Parts: sequence; C-alpha cells; structure tokens
Amino acid sequence: MTKIAEIKQRFEQDLSLCQTLLHLQDLKSKYLGKSGELTALLKGIRDLPAEERPVFGAKVNELRNQLESELAARTAVIKEEELKRRLADEKIDISLCDMQPWGALHPVTLVQNEICDLMIAMGFEVMSGPEIETDRYNFQALNIPFDHPARDMQDTFYLTDNLLLRTHTSPMQARYMERKKPPIKMICPGKVFRSDNDASHSPVFHQIEGLVVDKNVTLRDLKGTLEYLASHLFGQNTKVRFRPSFFPFTEPSVEVDLTCCNCGGKGCSLCKGTGWIEVLGAGMVNPYVLENCGIDSTEYNGYAFGMGLDRIAMIKYGIPDIRLLFENDVRLLRQFGK
Amino acid sequence: MKLPLSWIRDYVDITEDIQTLCKKMVDIGLEIEEVTYLGEKVTNVKVCQIVDIKQHPNAERLLCCKVDIGGEIIPIVTNDHSVKVGNKVPVALHNANLHNGLHITKGKMRGEESFGMFCGPEELGINGDMYPNADVEGVLVLRDTAVVGEDIRGEVGIDDYIIDVNVTANRQDCNSVLGLAREIAVALGKTCKQPQIDYSESSVATTDLVQVIVEADDICRGYYMQGVTDVVIQKSPLWMTSRLAKVGLRGINNLVDITNFVLFEIGQPMHAFDYNDINDKTIVVRRAHQGEKLVPLDNKEYVLCCDDIVIADKNRAIGLAGIMGGANSGIKENTGCVLFESAAFARMNVRRTSHRLGLRSDSSARFEKGIETYTNNLGLSRALHLVQQLNCGKITRGRISVGTVAAERKIEFGVDRIEKILGIVIPDKRILGILSSLNIKATIKNGLLSCLVPPYRDDICRDCDIIEELIRVYGYDNISGTLLDKSRITCGGKTSDAKMTDRIKTVLTGMRYNECVFYPFAGIELFAKATADKVNADSYIKIVNPIGEELSFMNRELAPNMLQCVALNLARNNTDIRLFEVGKVYLADSLPLKEQPYEQLRLSMCNTGVTFENFRADVLQILHCYIDKGVKLLRSKSRVLHPGISADIYIDGVFCGYFGKIHPQVASNFDIGADCMYAELFMDKLIELKRGEIRFEPFAKYPSITRDFAFVCDEDVAAQDILDEFFALSLVENAKLFDVYRSEQLGDGKKSLAVSVVFRDKNKTLQDSDIEKQVNKVLKSIREKYSAVLR
Repeated sequence: MTKIAEIKQRFEQDLSLCQTLLHLQDLKSKYLGKSGELTALLKGIRDLPAEERPVFGAKVNELRNQLESELAARTAVIKEEELKRRLADEKIDISLCDMQPWGALHPVTLVQNEICDLMIAMGFEVMSGPEIETDRYNFQALNIPFDHPARDMQDTFYLTDNLLLRTHTSPMQARYMERKKPPIKMICPGKVFRSDNDASHSPVFHQIEGLVVDKNVTLRDLKGTLEYLASHLFGQNTKVRFRPSFFPFTEPSVEVDLTCCNCGGKGCSLCKGTGWIEVLGAGMVNPYVLENCGIDSTEYNGYAFGMGLDRIAMIKYGIPDIRLLFENDVRLLRQFGK
Repeated sequence: MKLPLSWIRDYVDITEDIQTLCKKMVDIGLEIEEVTYLGEKVTNVKVCQIVDIKQHPNAERLLCCKVDIGGEIIPIVTNDHSVKVGNKVPVALHNANLHNGLHITKGKMRGEESFGMFCGPEELGINGDMYPNADVEGVLVLRDTAVVGEDIRGEVGIDDYIIDVNVTANRQDCNSVLGLAREIAVALGKTCKQPQIDYSESSVATTDLVQVIVEADDICRGYYMQGVTDVVIQKSPLWMTSRLAKVGLRGINNLVDITNFVLFEIGQPMHAFDYNDINDKTIVVRRAHQGEKLVPLDNKEYVLCCDDIVIADKNRAIGLAGIMGGANSGIKENTGCVLFESAAFARMNVRRTSHRLGLRSDSSARFEKGIETYTNNLGLSRALHLVQQLNCGKITRGRISVGTVAAERKIEFGVDRIEKILGIVIPDKRILGILSSLNIKATIKNGLLSCLVPPYRDDICRDCDIIEELIRVYGYDNISGTLLDKSRITCGGKTSDAKMTDRIKTVLTGMRYNECVFYPFAGIELFAKATADKVNADSYIKIVNPIGEELSFMNRELAPNMLQCVALNLARNNTDIRLFEVGKVYLADSLPLKEQPYEQLRLSMCNTGVTFENFRADVLQILHCYIDKGVKLLRSKSRVLHPGISADIYIDGVFCGYFGKIHPQVASNFDIGADCMYAELFMDKLIELKRGEIRFEPFAKYPSITRDFAFVCDEDVAAQDILDEFFALSLVENAKLFDVYRSEQLGDGKKSLAVSVVFRDKNKTLQDSDIEKQVNKVLKSIREKYSAVLR
C-alpha cells in the first residue's frame, strides 16, 4: 500500500515538471504504459495473499483512474497554452488591399446588355443580322427607293452597286418580318456604318433596333416602352418627349428626347441648355414596309425604334468623345471592370 | 434653309418672341439648327445728328464734333472730314461693341474729349445691298428719315433673326420662305398670306417669240416659259437686295435678282435667257449628246454625257438644266428681251450631273431635293409680278406650258384608323380644323374621312401620312404611354449563340481580359504590319468610297486591329495589357464581290505579360466553355505568330483557330516587344460543336492504380503524343505530364518526360496484373513511334 502512495507522490512530482505534450506522452508510458509502474505493481499482486488481492487491485485501479484524469487535465492545459503560443507566432501583416479589377466588358456592351435584359423582360427576342447588306434590305424594303431623297440622309459605304455596309440596324426589321408572323417583338443590336468622321460622328457606331408588330399596337405603346427603357437606363424621373420627324420606314415618325440626366432638365452643357437630349428615332411602322414583308397592314400595325448605343454609353458614363470608345485605352476599359 | 424672320413676316403676322416661335416650330417638326441675331455683335450704337464741327485744336487730321443723341449733346472726335453739320450718322457710345469686334470707350483724343466714335458700314456688318450708300469706306451717312437717338440696328436692318431650319427629306415644299411660312402659320394658329402673283401682259404673244420642244419628257415633267420685252437692266431696289443679302447673296441686277428672290421665296429655281442669243426662236429640252461641250456662267468648259439634261436652241446647248445657264445666253448690260424658264427637271439627273461635274448651285441644290410641277407656275407668276413691280419691262402675252399640272390628291379612310394608330381619340371637329389649317380640304361622313391634299404636299399619299399631320399639329404631348397592354404575350430571349458569346465574355473578364471594340475595316498598310508574309490587296473586300486609304478594306483577321491597340497602349506606358475582341471578319467566296460574303464571328485575345504555357491555359479554359475533349494542337501555320511557339487548334479535326507568341517580325513592326501572346478563335466553328446533355454520373466504386513512367526521347517529340498513347488504352482514366528533365547525362537534344497515369476499371478492383498487358503494349508502341524508352 505504501508503494501506491509512493508512486502517486512521484507522479505528482513528475507531472508538475511536465511542460509539453511530448513530456506528457513520456509520463503516460512511464506510469500507465505496458511496462509502466502501475503494470509492474499489478504484476506484484501474485505475491499477496489471496484475500488481500481484491483490495489491492481496487486500490491500483483507483490510482490508474486518478492518474489518467490528472494527465487528461494537464494535457488540456498544455494544448491550450501551445495553441496560444502558435497563434501568437503566426501573426502576419494583413493590411495590404491592392484590388485588381475584373476584366471589363466594353461600355457599349454594358449598355447593350442592359437594354437587352430590359427588353427580354418585355418578351422581345434578340436577333443579329449581317453587317454587309444588300441595297434591297438596307433601303428598298424600308421604303427608300433608288431616287428617294432620304438616301442622302445617310452617307453610305458601298462595296458594289448592290452591296453596302448597313447604315442602320433597320434591315433586320424586314429580314425578321419576312420569316416570322405577328405577334413580333424583336430587338437587334449591332454595328452600323456611315461615312462621317469627326468628334461627334464615327464611321462605325452601334445601334439597337426595336420592332413590334401585332394587332392593336399604338403610338402610346411606343411611348410607354421608351419610358420604361429610359427610366431604367437613366433613372425613375426621366421623361420622354416626342418631336415630329421623318424616316421613310415609319409614319408617323418622331425624334425622341429624354430629360437630361445630367441636370434633370434644368439645362446644362450636356444638353446645350435645352434640358433635353436627343437619343433615338422611332415611329409607327410604315404600312409600305409591312406590305413589302407580306404582312397585312389593315390587320396589323406596329412600332419601331433605333437608338445609338455609343451615344447612350457616352451620356450614361460621361465619356466626352466617341473616339475614346474605339481607341480601347486600358485606362478607360479598366474603369468598367466593376 | 436659312430663313430671315423679316421675310417670313411678309406672309405671317408674328407677334411671338423668337424663343416661343422657335419652340412652336420644333413642336410641329421644323428642326432648328441655329438662330442668329444679325445685330448681336452691335450694341450701344445710336443714330445721332451732327450739330457742330470744329477743327481739332491740336491735330490737323481730326475734327471735333458736337452731336445730338436724342435730347443730349455729346462731343465726338473724328478723322473723317466728309461729315457735315446736319448729317445723321451712327455713333458708337461708351462701351459699345461693333461687328468687327471693336470695343469703344470714351476718352480724350489729343486732349479733346470724345464720348464715342462714328461708324462705317463694315463696323455695323452691312453693305450697299442692305442700306443706301453703304458701300462707302468712311462714316455712313444715314437717311434723313433716321430717328435721332434710336438704336442703329433697326435703321440699318440688322434688327433681324436668321433661323437656320433643318428641313427633313420628305418636305421639299419647306425649302422656301413661303413653304416655311405655311408651316409657321399652322404652328402659331394663324393664316398664311398668299404671294402676290398678279401682272398685266402686253400684246406681244409669247408664242410669237419662241416655241418650246420638250424631247426628254421622262426627265422633265413640266416646262413653263414667258418673256419680257423692252427690258431695262438696272440695280434692284434695296428691299430686294437686303433680303438676298440676308440669305448670303449679292445683288447683281434686277432680272438676276428676281430669279434668286423667287428661288428663296417660292422655292422654284428660275432661269432667264437673253432672247437675242436663241437661234431660230426655238427652245429644246433634251438629253445632252455624249461628249457635248458647254460653258456655263462660271466660264469653265464641261464635257457632258447623255444622262445630263440640257436646254438648247436649234444649234447648241444654252444651259445645263437645273444647274446653271450657259455663258452664251446669259443676261447682259444691254439685254433687251428675256425668256423666263420655270421647270421640273428630274432630281436624280440633276443630282448625278451636278455631282459628276462638281458643279453646284442654289438651283441644283433645290432640284436635288425635288421640285413639284405645282411650284413651276407659281414661281413664274411671282417672278413676272416682280418684273412688273420693279418696272423691268413688258410681259408677253400667254404662257408656254408643257406637262401636266399636279392636281389635288384624294385620300379616304375610316376615321377610327386614327385611334388604331395613335391610341388616342382626336375630336372630329379638331381633325377638320387641323386639316384645314394645312390647306387639306376634309370632310367626315359616316365615319369616313375624305381629304383633298394640296399638290405641293407630295409627301402625303395615304392614311398614315394624314394621321402624322394630325398628331404633329395636335401635339405629341397629348400622348401618354401604355405598355403594349392590348398586344399578345411573346417569349423573349437570346439565341443560344448569343448566350454562348455572353458566357465567353464573362469568362474572359473573370480572367481579367478587357473587351475592345474596333472598326471592321482598315488599310493594307496595317494588314501588312500584322504578318510576316506579303499581303495581297486583291484578297480583301474593298470599300468603293472609303473615308481614307487607311479605312478601305474589310478585315480578314482580327489581329491587325488588336496588335495596333496593344501598340497604342504600350506607347502610353500602360502595362499588363490583356484584351479581347468578339468581332467579325469578312470572307468572300470570290472577288470582286457578287453576293453577301460570309461574316465569320471570331474571338481575339492578347496578353503582354504571360508565358506560352499560361496563355495556353487561358485559351484552353475558353475552349472548355464549349467542349472538354477532342482538342488537338499542331504547329501553327499562322504568319502572325512565331513558328516555333504557336499552335493551330483542331477540334475533332476541324480547324478552330490559332494562338501563340507574336512573330518577332510582327512584334518589331508594331514595336511591341517580343513577349506578346495572341490568340484568334473561330467562334462560328466552336458554336457548331455539339455539347452533350449534362447527366449525373455516379462516383467510381472501385479504386484506381496510379503508375509513373519516365521516357527518354528526342527534343522534338510532342508530350501530348505520348499522353495520347496512354489515353487510347481502355483502362486509362487520366494521364498527365508532371516533369520535363534535361541533363548532360541524357545527352544533347534529349529530354526526359515524366508521366503519371491513372488506371481504373468501372466494374472491379484492378490488380497489377490487370494493367500489365496494356502497359507493355503502350510502351512498345511509344518506343516504335517516338523512339522513346523508359529511363
């Protein structure tokens, strides 16, 4: 029995000196291992008289339990100390925040995507068409015959007598109507070409065409659609104004102005003091165009609009010169990678 | 069309201020380019009367005057010795501004006080066409009727606005003062006066002077002629020359001025021939003979062709129809008899001739826009009225008229059509009122709207044109928006191709590439820079009328624009340039072009700070948007790229693009350094690849075995070929290259490729013995094909 007390005493002493998990491991095998002191003690049970053996056994087991629980408690303490030390050691400088921008979509693409999403929500299909067009689709099908003065409105790049770079996205109106019957709701974004080149004109720019043909489509629907577009593109308070104009493929035809998003309509340098900015042309589809495409103009009517995406991007993002859009300086492009 | 406000006032009683007027004009569809106030630069200049003149005490060349400026006498020093006591002259007072930019302040001249300066015509921006005797150099002496103390602008006629109106292409009738006056009257709700066209005729019959033969009636729909005898050529009165001055014309003589006046006022180009120059009393309107020569009033000789229309007598051409009269028949100082011509020549012929010869005139500009036969008679009558008003001579009896006069056009439709198009109801009374203000005679009976459209409105042909007239006058502000609430629902969306393009763009931006947009055309010089080969201009689609040589051919590759853009960015010290473009190239089956060419959608990518291996990973990542296997990379044939560090992409045997390092020659052409990586992928080919349906595949049940192999082989053995040998085995799940090793021990031109191969059987746990046979077979094959042996 004295041996038990002695072992316990020695264990307490060893444990108090123990600083690491490794020491604890050693301590565990020294006392509780296969060839540890307690095992040796138990082996000595054979030398005891039979009646003392149960008591002795119970005492040794009690000691084992005691030592195990003390070891466990000590292990927990050391583990926690070690974790604290490690965490203290593993501290680094986390202050740097050099944000790398995403790659950016081109501002014209951003505007195009935004408009497409808005129109898709209204049930419009998004189409694309050829950039090299025939005279027929670019002009004749749109009620612009060979000798029509309206041809002078658009300075056309010709490839042959009959083939040209499309001057607008409107040819897709005719192409689409020829193969699809009403109800039609279509938009068509794309590059268009005119032989101008100065600060406000680029020989290449982007348009998006919109076309609706069905029974009961009115000029009010055109205005409503454009109000919906304008309020989402430029803010809830944007107003839409129609001014009479002329396009051979729409009748009535209107130029569409929006309240200036820069000054809210009070007048500023962007809107040249008028409070309005001209953003697109539109109108009710000319019955000649419907008839050219095999649609009964007494039963169906529709509206069409075409707007310049570059101009909208310039207004929306405050880009002063259209040439910046085609120059592709990464200092401009990276500003759109958000 | 430049429109003097004072001229419009002849026809419409305008009481509105200029802003209100312009707004109303815009509201009915007259787009205004610019409004100029003629007297804008002339401020604080008044009419004064000289009451005293004395020699300046200290300067021989100066005079000291006392002038009355309306109740106040002030001193003015002048160097103009022509002024007399009693003269009324313009005086610029303290802080006055003048047309030539001068700013006047009071001060002392050689010790004598001067409160301002007398002005001459130039300082007021006027000339002799606008004010009597205003061609003088010195101080302008005003008319006796000038009111002392009044602002000078009213007196000299510069208290006037010029409104520059942008007339739309359908409204040829608005290219005149009268046409715009009709519109302005509608806009202001007023009436437009009719032009005065009455005159009396002499006993001389026009037909006794001349006969007119219109041979080319297909290109001359109307031809009208009447003569004036006993002509007196002299200067036109100021009221007429001042009008012409305001639209930019100098006065010539009374007859020429009348033709110009009618051109601007009525919109009808006129011409006056000297009767003496016309042979055999005959005027012929015909096509020019091929090679026929004519010297018009600009005194240059032009060679004509049979598309041109000429006015001729029996022997020779005497005028280029609609463009300019001949020098051989023009008005001269001693002209005694003239023939006035008013006609409707075909606009396309006038246009083509004018463009071909580079000969433009106010007349040709009108004809190019189109002239109605209705205006022919009106213009001629107005000219003859002015002849009589100006006492230019005696008007011959009767008019020679060839062609039919345009009649009123009848248009009928159900009045409910208006609501169907506009979505709003305009009351019948208002409809009739609006149409009446437009000189359209209209009635509504049993829901049927009948209209008679005046002949000068050739743009109004059917119901929708009438509806447009109604709404533009009624006002677009009366339209409120609706959202297609009476139309059927449709399914919107993008095509799968467009969705794929969007996805590619998104992935690229995630890889920090920025999107570019370029012109799809460029010049041969740029194409030549972007290849190590020679460029053949004949293989490109050419623009017939390009802006310049550098923008004259359609792209066949995206590389030239992209590389030029990289060069621009590098030149601006931008770094870490990663760019992409989704654009088209234009590939013709044969040239010259006969039909629409194939427009191939491509993707170009460029990266200036990356190794070939990393760039290849980027390219493969993009390809992975489409497919996950079947890609084969072969040495590229592209001449944009470095032959040793570039690859052509084949997918299931289809050529889908190329990528790699820029060819050193190309890099040097653009001065962009040698480390630029470039890729061009054919999106049309990629889109055609069929992507399988996505189905969940259960995880493998049985474990795999991984084996590593190291092969020693020649440098030019492609690692992918070795891997492909393994992939051909049925039990191989994956094979990867994990090391390339070179050493002296291996020898020059040799390398060691270390490959890790994963074997798996779907149906059972593999044993080494299961793969032994396959491994032996592949090792043998690799040894035989590539002389590659196991280390």
